[in-house]
Order: sequence, then structure tokens, then C-alpha cells
Amino acid sequence: MDSTLNKVPKKKTIDLFEPIGEAISNFRKRFEDGSLGTKLSHFIFGAGNFYHKQYIKGAIFLLLQIAIILFMVLCPSINGTPYGWKALYNLSLTHLHEGGDFDPMTGEFSIGSDCKLIILFGFVTIAVIIIYFLLWGMSISSSFKADMDEKIGKKPTSFIDDLRELLDSRFHITMLTPTCIAALVFTILPTIFMIALAFTTYNSQDMNDIGTNLFHWNGLQNFRAVFTGEGSLGVEIKNRFMPVLGWTFIWAIFATLSCYFGGIILALLINKKGLKGKKIFRTVFIFTIAVPQFISLLAVRNLLGEYGPVNSMLVNLGWIAKPIGFLGLHPGDSENLAKVMVIIVNMWVGIPYTMLMTSGILMNIPADLYEAARVDGASTVKMFMKITLPYVIFVTTPYLISSFVGNINSFNTIFLLTGGGPTYTGYQAGGTDLLVTWLYKVTIDQGSYNTGAVIGIFTFLITATITLITYRRSKAYNEEDTFQ
Amino acid sequence: MKKLISLLLAACMVLTLTACGGGGGGGKKPEDTKIVVWVGEESAEFYQKACDDYVAAHPDFGYTITVKGMDTGAVAGTVTNDPSAAADIFTVAHDNIGKLAATQCAKPITDESLIRQVKADNPASFQNVIYSSLNGQTYLYGVPYISQALFMYYNKDKVTEQQAESFEGLREAAKAAGTKAITVTGDDGFNNSFALLATRVSDHATTVKIYQGADAASGGSKGTSYCQGDDTVAIVRWLQEYAADPNGFKWASSDGWEADLKNGGALAVIGGAWHYNSAKAALSETNLGIALIPTFTLTAAACEGLSDVKAGDVYRGGTFADCKVFMINAHSDASKYAALQTLVKYLSSKEVQNESYLNCLNVPAYVGASEFIKSCFDGGKVTESQYMLACKQVEMAEWGIPQPFLTGTLNTYYYSKNAPAVLRAMIDKTAYPTTGDVIISETESLEGIRKGLYMMEYLWMHGQNPKDFPSPLPVQA
Repeated sequence: MDSTLNKVPKKKTIDLFEPIGEAISNFRKRFEDGSLGTKLSHFIFGAGNFYHKQYIKGAIFLLLQIAIILFMVLCPSINGTPYGWKALYNLSLTHLHEGGDFDPMTGEFSIGSDCKLIILFGFVTIAVIIIYFLLWGMSISSSFKADMDEKIGKKPTSFIDDLRELLDSRFHITMLTPTCIAALVFTILPTIFMIALAFTTYNSQDMNDIGTNLFHWNGLQNFRAVFTGEGSLGVEIKNRFMPVLGWTFIWAIFATLSCYFGGIILALLINKKGLKGKKIFRTVFIFTIAVPQFISLLAVRNLLGEYGPVNSMLVNLGWIAKPIGFLGLHPGDSENLAKVMVIIVNMWVGIPYTMLMTSGILMNIPADLYEAARVDGASTVKMFMKITLPYVIFVTTPYLISSFVGNINSFNTIFLLTGGGPTYTGYQAGGTDLLVTWLYKVTIDQGSYNTGAVIGIFTFLITATITLITYRRSKAYNEEDTFQ
Repeated sequence: MKKLISLLLAACMVLTLTACGGGGGGGKKPEDTKIVVWVGEESAEFYQKACDDYVAAHPDFGYTITVKGMDTGAVAGTVTNDPSAAADIFTVAHDNIGKLAATQCAKPITDESLIRQVKADNPASFQNVIYSSLNGQTYLYGVPYISQALFMYYNKDKVTEQQAESFEGLREAAKAAGTKAITVTGDDGFNNSFALLATRVSDHATTVKIYQGADAASGGSKGTSYCQGDDTVAIVRWLQEYAADPNGFKWASSDGWEADLKNGGALAVIGGAWHYNSAKAALSETNLGIALIPTFTLTAAACEGLSDVKAGDVYRGGTFADCKVFMINAHSDASKYAALQTLVKYLSSKEVQNESYLNCLNVPAYVGASEFIKSCFDGGKVTESQYMLACKQVEMAEWGIPQPFLTGTLNTYYYSKNAPAVLRAMIDKTAYPTTGDVIISETESLEGIRKGLYMMEYLWMHGQNPKDFPSPLPVQA
């Protein structure tokens, strides 16, 4: 027992450093064992390829090296903001110029540094540097591979051979490259940019991205504000973060489960043997999917409004003296009622999806399972609990998780129904605000881009953690292969 | 075959992405012989025609002009997001000038004839808010061409002209109709100016100061703010009473103020010219009455314990009396600078402003516009409600001040840092804030109101809640 315990941490240490050590020794070995071409490739991209007469490949590597070096040295600029080494230099946000030199006669006007572009271009430049080192490694290993091929008497692969291979045994690389590039340009870089804003003083109230009062880096201060209440939005963040987070979870759990089980029950009812007009029922419920969600939500908002049919009816019947604020649109309205209402209204837009999916699954459950159960004398409830439910849950676990995460970020339902209300006088985040609608208010209404980024990062951390934990513990993940 | 298809699909994807990237990041500037102008959506057609007329009359102008209608409330944001993609000349409400100048989105105006025209045509109140600073020097940035102020729409069917003159009269009408007297179009800092900027009728006096003496040039000095005067306390108390009255004031319903007017939930609403079409749709042309924001008389209860006000003092609801201005994009090519200034001079001339009123009901900003407005009505060129709208707005402007937000910071502190929510809490007599560090547990007592007003003043000046309430409260937050 003891020996096992001792081994675990030891193994972990080795795991961590082993690959690094191996890489360093491989690198050295490659340099020492490689041909002159491989040695030269450490300094001039493609030199090894030229050495092995792989001219096209060599030329491509060399051109890429020259292009990147020129990019770094010449610093091409867009809208006055440079790339290259200047972008790295500017990234500290301490060498900015305010611009604004103006000639009243000619109208010439010089625009100052653009902090937003500077951060973006800085990260693009870092990405280019990383690409440079990747190419460096590729160039060396390409030459070293040719060395090895020659050693065993094989002819080094030509460019045409490589291309052919890319369409054959390495087809996955051909297919994945465009996707990876697109992900890098359109997802990863913007995400890094947004994350970076969380570490700056950027808000539209007293800091600008161009001109006077340029924003700058401020480390972890915005994150600290969540706990200490510093800064212009600090008190709000400190006082409202936990309540909003708590409600976000309650909402996500109830919204997900209510739609999930509601959908299953509806599907069971519709699929019940002997029910006539199944198709009609199914179509009727699908209508709510066909109508754009925001229209349904706005329609419900009107139904429940102060002069809406529900309130008018209740007032006319004499059941209530004055209209009820169902959706918490006024500061004094009941917060709990608004919370219950959004969960109920959300069922209206969410249930048909689960129903549709569950219908398909129900039709796929082998009839002989039920047959066998019936022969064994199982009751309907037992059959539901032992066959239907496990079957449905097994298949829909990933859906359940994604819909839970989707509900954490359910902007439409909350924003269009309650607008986050009832508002807490003095704070942006109202009674039904989720993290994501609060984030919207903080960035769009308040212009606190940095605080918004902090809330966004927290939201991401929370959703990612929950998703990972629940999914990895689910049967759908652990017993993926056993499902038949 | 499968691979070929996959490759083709991948190629398509890459091409699409490249195309997207190119389009989005390009931010293409218009050709140098083209001028793009952004005006309000409702006026685009008119200004396009005005520009076409100008180009036809001046063959040597050398530029083609495209006018585009925009949501003027959102233009400032659009321009700050990407000034290089914005129009050469754009329209904003004047309170955005500070922010647009500081972020180098707008270029100063230096054409002497244009500056002379601005000085000659516009009231002094506007002249105070259209300048900003660049590198320590003050320049003209915005050229006013539309004026805006709050006034009142009311239901002529239920309220007589005389009743519409005072809040008390409205209450009488509301009592007869079994409803609320008056509502507002929103509870934000602009719309609550009807209460906050109310002035004594006898001498147009108020003790309220908002960023008085603020100066964008001297490091964005915030000037002086004050709203703890006895008159303000009394006005809040009076409004508390009026809002608690079953036939008094109500906030707009969750269905919107239009629904209140239409369904008889309130007999009147305080709004601006931009609400005209909605108000007309809610009440119909025949029932749509337009009047000044009414007067109210301070009650004994409102003045109890206060020395600077007395029961019976008559006040009139106030307003921010603003202007919309043309600005020149700093990113426009310098070669166009002279032409852009010439065009702004033409578009803001009295003649074009007059035509703009006739065609789009934009109330002119220049001094003496009321004579022209009257002549239009006498000549049968506008309907009665269109005439009243312009008349009452021009008159209301005398009871108000332009939004004094010379920098973006002041604008945000005033509107977005919850000072309006404090005022609403006081009118509703609820605690403020409901959770948090500094709590005003009640806003009904004199002490609660004084704390609330101090908090508003503090928010205007510092952009955040005060850490505590010193006793006695400081005169200046």
C-alpha cells in the first residue's frame, strides 16, 4: 500500500519533465548526427532540402523564412498601427502617442495610437513568431528525415511525393489545416484579445482606445475587484456576482430539467399506442419551433404585460385589483414571481425540441425488450423506469449537458422576457439577470469592457468545469462502446 | 471521388472565410470625390434631396453626396467603434461631442464663415456645449441644426386646455376619468429632467447645478454639481405625494407609455418631438393635445422643515433643451476638409433648417425660428398639432438647459451610474440600493431624501456610491 502511494508523485514528476528532456536531447542529437544540410537548416530554413536536392520544398521554407523576417523587420501597418517588432514593443502600452496634431488650414489630422489594434496586432505578431518556430522545427526535421532516408539507401521524398502523400496517407492533415487556420484567425485570436481586455483599464467612461486618456494594463486588479469591490463597478461586482451566479445555476438546472422531462412526457404521450392523429399532435408542437424564438418570447411578454390579456382578464373577473407584474419589468415587482414565470415560459420554447428528439429515440427502442419485460410480468411503471428512461438518458446525456450550458448562456429568454428585471435599484444586474445578460449590460450599457471580460472569463471557467466533470462522469462517455 | 469532394468543400470554406475576412477588415474609405452624410432615418430622403439641389446649383463643388439614414441615438457608438468606416459628416446629439472629440473621431471646424454663422444663429445655451478641446486648444466641433426639448402630450378628449397647464389640473381630470394623470417615456436621466430641472415660475430659479463650469480643456475638470437645495428636496417630496395619489403620476407601464395613453392608463405623457408619431397613433390626431410641461404648486407638507421654500410657490417642470449637431469625421481625407465645411454650412443654414421642419418636423435650432414656425401655420403648411409641437418645444427650451456633458465621463457618470435609479427610488419611496454597502433604508423622511440627493450628487461627481454618509452631509459631494 505504502509503496503504491510513494510511486504516484514520483511518476508524475517524471512525466512532466521527461518529454522536455527528451526533446532537448533529440534536438542536440539531430544537430550532431545530421548532415551539413541539417546543421545549416538550424539557421537557414530549407538549407537541408537544397542539400538533398529537394529544391521546391527548400524554396518554400526559405521564402517563408524571408517573408516572416521581413514582416518582423519592416513592420507593415494598418490604420497607422504597425505589426512586427514594433507591435511587440507597443504591446506594453507604455510607448503610445496621443496624436491629434491638427493643421487648421489644410485639415490634416494625425490620429494617435489605437490601443485596441495595438493589442490585436501584438498577439498576431506573437502568433507569427510561434509559426516561425514551428516552421523552423519542420525545416530541420524535413532535412533530418532526408538524412535518415539516405542512410537506409532510400531516395529522399520529393515535393511531388509529399503532395501525393497529403492526398493519401496524410489526407487528414490536408483536411484539418484550413479548419485549424480558420479557428486560429476567427476564434482563438479574438478570444485571446477579449481575454487580454480583462487585464486592462479599458472602459468607455474615462479611458479611451484612441486619443487622450489611453487605457493600459492593470494586471489582476479587475479580478480582485470581484472580491474587494474596488474600481468604478467594483461594488456592483462584489455585491451582485454571487447572487447572479446562484440564480444562473438555479435557472439552468430548472430550465434544463423542466424542458427535458416535459419533452419526454410529451413524447411518451404522443407515442402512446392507440393514440389517433399522432402526426397532427407532433406537427402542432413543432409549430413553436417553426416560429422564431424571439417572436414567441415577445408575444408572451405582451400576453403577460400590464395591459395584456392575462392581466385584463384577471382584473375584469375581479380576482385582482391592479395588474400583476408577472415579468418583473418594474423595480417594485416580485422577483420570485418573475423567476418562476421565465422558467415556465421557457418550457414553452424548449419542450418541443426534447419531444422531437425523444420521439425518435422512443421509436428506436427494440420492441422485444418490452415484450420480454411483459412476459416477465413487469408493470408499465417498471418498464418505463428500467427500459425507457435509462435508454433515453443514455442517448441524451450529451444533449442534456449541452442544453445545461446553453441555458447558463440563455441570453434570449431572459433579455426578451424580463430584461433582467426586476431591477435592483442601484445595480445593473437585476433579479432575473444571468451572468450573460449582466455581461451585456456591463459592456453595452456601461461600456466597462474590462469588467465585462472578467465576467465572461468567470462564466467560461464555470461552464467548462461543469461540462467536463459531468460529461466525464456520465455513462454516455464512460460506456460509449457498450451502447448498442 | 470522396476526397475530391472533401477538398472542394475545404477550398470553398477557405475562400468564403478569406472573403469574409477581406470584407470585414477592409474598412474601405469612400472615393475622394464622394461625400457620405449620416442623418436621422426620418430625414434621409429630405437631406439627400437638399444635397442633390446643392450639387446641381454648384457645378464646381466637385463631389457627389450620398445621404444615409441612421438611428441617431446609436451613431456616436457606431462612429467610436470604427471611425474609419463612418460617414464624412455625421449627426449626433450634442452631449456626445466630448467623447467623439477625445477619441479623435471628429475633426475641429475652422472655417471662419461657418464659425460666424454658428455664432450668429444659435442661442448662447447651445454655444456653451458645442466646443471641445484638442491638445489644449478649444475648437468648434458641432454645428447645431435641430433643437430638442421635452414637452407634454395629452388626451384632449379627457383634459381641457386649462387643466393641461398644471399638474393639479391634470389630477382633477384624472380623477374624473378614474385613472392616472401623467406618465413619462422612461425613467432615465434625460426623462427625469422634468422633475430635477423644475424651476420656480416667478424667477426661473433653481439651485440645481450640473457640472457647472466643467472644462474639457483643463484635464476634463468636472466643475460644480449641486442638488441638495431645499427647493429640490421640496420638489421630490411634492412628487412623492403626487405619485402616491391614485390620480397622480405613474411610471410608464411595462407595455410602454404608448399603451398607457392608448388604454387610458394615463391622460398625459412628457415626451419629445421624436415621440410625435407614436403619441398621434395612440391618441389620434383629433385627441392629441400638446402643451408645455405643466406647473405645480408646492404644498405645505412638501415644504415642512425647509427654510428656502414656502408652500404656494409655483414651479414648472424642466427639461434638457438640446440640439443635434453635424460633426466632421477626423478620418476623412484632408483634401475634402474645405468641401465638408462648406457642406455643413449649407446643411445647417436657416433655409435648410426651415425646409427640414416643413418636410420632417425637425424643429430648427436657430434663434427666432418660432416666427417662421408661426408663418407656416398661418400659411396652412402644417397641421395644428405639428405647429403646437414646434411652438411648445421652442417655448420649453427657455425653461431648460442643454445637457452639460462636455466629456464622455460626465455623460456616463450622469446617466449610467444609477443616479436616475436613486431619484426613482425616492419618488417610489423605496429603499436604495436594495443590497450593498451603503444603504438608504428609507427615502420617505427628510433625512432619507437628503441622503438620496447627496448620493445622486456623489454619483454625478465620482461615478460610484459614496462609501458612507457623513453627519452632517457635506454641502458638496
